[in-house]
Amino acid sequence: MSDMTMEETKRPGFFAIGMLRGVLFLIVGTLVGMGIVTGVRAVMGLPAWSPDAAWTVGAIFGTAAFIYGVGALNDWLKWANGVETPEHPEAPKFSGLAKYLSISFDHKVIGVQYGYTSLLLFLTAGLFALIFRTELAAEGMQFMGENATILGMNGLNFYNTIMSLHGIVMIGATLLGVGAMSNFLVPLMIGANDMAFPRLNAFAFWINIPGAIWLLCTLFLGGFDTGWTGYPPLSQLAPLGMQLFFFGVYVIGLSSILGSLNIIVTIVKMRAPGMNYFRMPIFVWTAFATAIIGLTATQLIGLSFQMVMFERLFGMGFFTPSEGGNPILFQHLFWFYSHPAVYVFILTGLGVISELLPVFARKPLFGYKWVALSSFAIAIVGFLVWAHHMFTSGMEAYLRVPFMYSTLLVAVPTGIKFFSWVATIWEGKLSFETPMLFVLGAISIFLLGGLSGPPNGVVSTDLHVQDTYWIVGHFHATLFGGFVFPFFAALYYWYPKFTGRMYNERLGKLHFYLMLPAFYVQSLGQMQVGLLGMRRRIADYDPNLGIETTHLLITIAGYLIGIAVLIAIYNFVVSARRGEVAVANPWRSRSPEWQIPSPAPEHNYDEQFEVVGEPYDYGLEGSVFVNMHPGPAKPEMPAGAVPAAAD
Amino acid sequence: MPEPEKNRPQRVLIASSHALFAQGLRSLLQSRKQTGVEVIGVVSSMEEVMLALEANNPDLIIVDYDDETLNRDEFLARFVEGEKKLRVVLLSLNEAQEALVYDRRTLAASEIDDWLEEWTYGVSNADGEKPDVLVSVKEDNRRNPMKHLIIAAILVVVVAAALIIGMTQVDLLPVAASAQAKPIDTMFRIEFTVIAILFALIVVLMVYSIVVFRRKRGDMSDARHVEGSTRLEVFWTAVPLATVLVFAYLGSWSLGETTRADPKPLEVNVIGSQWSWRFEYPNQGIVSTELRLPENKQALLHLWSTDVIHSFWVPEFRVKQDALPGGGDLTRDLRITPTELGTYTVRCAELCGLKHTYMESPVIVMAQADFDAWIAAESGLSVDPVERGGKWYTTYGCSACHSLDGTPSVGPTWQGLYGSEIRFDDGSTAVANDDYLYNSIRNPADHIVEGFQNLMPANVAADMTDAQVSDVIRFIESLR
Repeated sequence: MSDMTMEETKRPGFFAIGMLRGVLFLIVGTLVGMGIVTGVRAVMGLPAWSPDAAWTVGAIFGTAAFIYGVGALNDWLKWANGVETPEHPEAPKFSGLAKYLSISFDHKVIGVQYGYTSLLLFLTAGLFALIFRTELAAEGMQFMGENATILGMNGLNFYNTIMSLHGIVMIGATLLGVGAMSNFLVPLMIGANDMAFPRLNAFAFWINIPGAIWLLCTLFLGGFDTGWTGYPPLSQLAPLGMQLFFFGVYVIGLSSILGSLNIIVTIVKMRAPGMNYFRMPIFVWTAFATAIIGLTATQLIGLSFQMVMFERLFGMGFFTPSEGGNPILFQHLFWFYSHPAVYVFILTGLGVISELLPVFARKPLFGYKWVALSSFAIAIVGFLVWAHHMFTSGMEAYLRVPFMYSTLLVAVPTGIKFFSWVATIWEGKLSFETPMLFVLGAISIFLLGGLSGPPNGVVSTDLHVQDTYWIVGHFHATLFGGFVFPFFAALYYWYPKFTGRMYNERLGKLHFYLMLPAFYVQSLGQMQVGLLGMRRRIADYDPNLGIETTHLLITIAGYLIGIAVLIAIYNFVVSARRGEVAVANPWRSRSPEWQIPSPAPEHNYDEQFEVVGEPYDYGLEGSVFVNMHPGPAKPEMPAGAVPAAAD
Repeated sequence: MPEPEKNRPQRVLIASSHALFAQGLRSLLQSRKQTGVEVIGVVSSMEEVMLALEANNPDLIIVDYDDETLNRDEFLARFVEGEKKLRVVLLSLNEAQEALVYDRRTLAASEIDDWLEEWTYGVSNADGEKPDVLVSVKEDNRRNPMKHLIIAAILVVVVAAALIIGMTQVDLLPVAASAQAKPIDTMFRIEFTVIAILFALIVVLMVYSIVVFRRKRGDMSDARHVEGSTRLEVFWTAVPLATVLVFAYLGSWSLGETTRADPKPLEVNVIGSQWSWRFEYPNQGIVSTELRLPENKQALLHLWSTDVIHSFWVPEFRVKQDALPGGGDLTRDLRITPTELGTYTVRCAELCGLKHTYMESPVIVMAQADFDAWIAAESGLSVDPVERGGKWYTTYGCSACHSLDGTPSVGPTWQGLYGSEIRFDDGSTAVANDDYLYNSIRNPADHIVEGFQNLMPANVAADMTDAQVSDVIRFIESLR
């Protein structure tokens, strides 16, 4: 992405680029870790080479070395030695790409770093999907059968591995996309000049890189065949790749926890004067709710994965019945995070929908407080529903009915959002630029995802649809409507804010009109084959089920989605250099981030603005949300409006 | 909002070629002269407007929207979006003697007075940058809220009906072949209907808004200021809440129906192993690789697994249950009452590793008499160890990975295996004798045959007795 505001730019040397230095450190650190564990084993008289142990310790050392190499620890280490550092570091002022490949404490740079990492992971995971969709286009095995060998794996194992990787890499990409939006937008929207803890913010981003590297490494280390859920005992028996899968997710989870903490503190402590909670842009509410889930639930998946890692390494029998363990326990721990995690994925997306609709409808957000609080209601109820993933798992049968009730309750706050969105556009004055198209598309798809939920939430019908493609269709509709479409809406909408240029509107619309119908075909197709008997995660299916044509359509739709995303990436890359220079407020938004130049200046706001009105009073003549120049004599400036001095 | 300067009258220019409109408005305005409004002229064409502009510099131009000799788009283009930004009001007197002067505000003739007052005192460009455009469109399609709601409601009903009918035309569920499938399918039908109605409701309202409430070209104004409605929010919180409670109640009812227990069911142990199913009829002393069930008699399945989690699912029976490793307390039950004769397939629904896809076994629903005959025929075990070994070959799932005809699969073929020299991946060799085969079945990871991977489940033979393993070795010997 181009950067035009930088006055003095420097051409960095090869090792001045943080990413490259980090990867080099990672390789060396991994080898050192492997060496240590192998040496210790040899001294203890054990067989020296144990792949699981060597790679696990290697990955721990490699991750730490990466973080050190990239420079995320420098300031903290200086502080430990009593050396003062400036609030914003005198980082080498790189231009263009190098700036985004090196450490920065600026929340906007970090937001963009989250964003491009997210998009790269999306492309990777999408590629995995297209590979196995090609396999599924027709019945029988095309090229991943049990007699094929791919990357040293049995063809079927390769299928299971990329199917599993598709899931977990997409989840990583989604978490990073959520991080991109909340990091870039929250400080701008609340009038802060950065996050509360800028160094922790950089740390939380950079730790994702080794996490993603370990996840992708599994492809070359025997793979893993458990799906992203990693249920034991299958995951105890799985190849070496399993261990690195667990470790990679563990590291990305750590990022999620730290990032959430930062968002919460930023929102609580750093809002502009006059911005009480009910005057925050609605996106900030969803980022807040998301961060609360991320901070409090992520530990559970980390814990459950860590326990399986320990089972594999040390033979601790947490989930092994013959050693007094219980495989159901894992599922409780796992879903206690992984269900709320879905709300981590979608709530910020829903926030984008609520944020953009009033701008493009020129009408206030209908029932602001209801929409704001519904995010919290979803977050809270979301903690009480995890066992609906386990209706057929063999947990205590009497638990099924209460969890059915709690699960269906999620429909109530979600319904408030839908009805409020429709009421917002009703009698509005709608215009249909690309971001608005994606928002409207998102609502319709999220609706499909939401409405396909009750058959899974109601126990009796779930007995049929559990572990089928119905679930796959439901989940993809929820995630496309709750995250993918809103994420693209956000990328197009705030594109001028981080590049200073406009995207190409025609390509944006082409992207939308390709992706929306293709997605409907894919999702409805998945739901139908699921009802007819197609199980999840299988490499081949029985032609007697009568689902082959639909599978072919799903595959074609998948390719169309892939093409649409490539068009978007092309648009983003080319427009960053050649797009039309954006006017200050292309959407005529009332939000503060549009009252300053684009791209946003390095320290956001020269002068602390003051909130004097409601955020979405479109159509109320003379109303103002923020007073950008409140004048000199403001007696009480809350201390929290200044970035915290230390982190 | 700052008030207009008190000492300078607001200068109004009226553009209309209709004498009645112009004169009427002029007299209205002049009667209010004390409030600071001064009509500086009446013009009937764009040229005259331009002349009047230079001469008199008006603050507001009121344009007769109904006057077709005036090009109102030109007014908008020139004074609203153009360089010289002025306050322009398009005023329309429609047939009902109402005047539309403000976006989506319909004024009776008597209310025009108030509007003028509001304008003269209250309306002034606050920041002086953007003109407030007060566009009034004669056929303003936003002006009748009830009309829109009624049309949209009709469309919702039509689309919902179309979706419900449409869904009956598509294959959505396989044949229902068990008593448990009936309440479940009833529940599905209720769910699909409600889904269709809610999908139609939201999507129709959205599409209607997209079509009807789209912004007019050049319209830079905001929509009506509506913040929300607590009554509506309470309504659309309460109704979904009631709906989900009904749903959950119906769900509990249908779940109860599927678990209803018959007093004397047929008991079958269903054991999953990577990657095959085994069915034991404990009261009949039969072990089988096919699940045979009598029609209209409840089968009580006791499920467990020898290795990882599997899940028992016959789509035509609808119900599903995971089989857990560990046995004992971790054995799980599932009740199925087949109601349709036929051959179905049990498909493992929980990812269980390499060949999960192929973990399928036939399920045959038979008439009671046929079932009894099958039981009688199966009960006796052969005296020939080779024949018994051949049976164990399928029963214990060896057939999933080892062929009998020389084709290599996940594991080596058994054809010609006995007595042959085996080459391992570490280069060593051994002869496939009884000891070697016994150890390979019990401890598959000890030696890996060259060209193969260590994929054989470690405890695949945990449930086999030594006598059964010996039968299998005799069976392999017979294939030399």
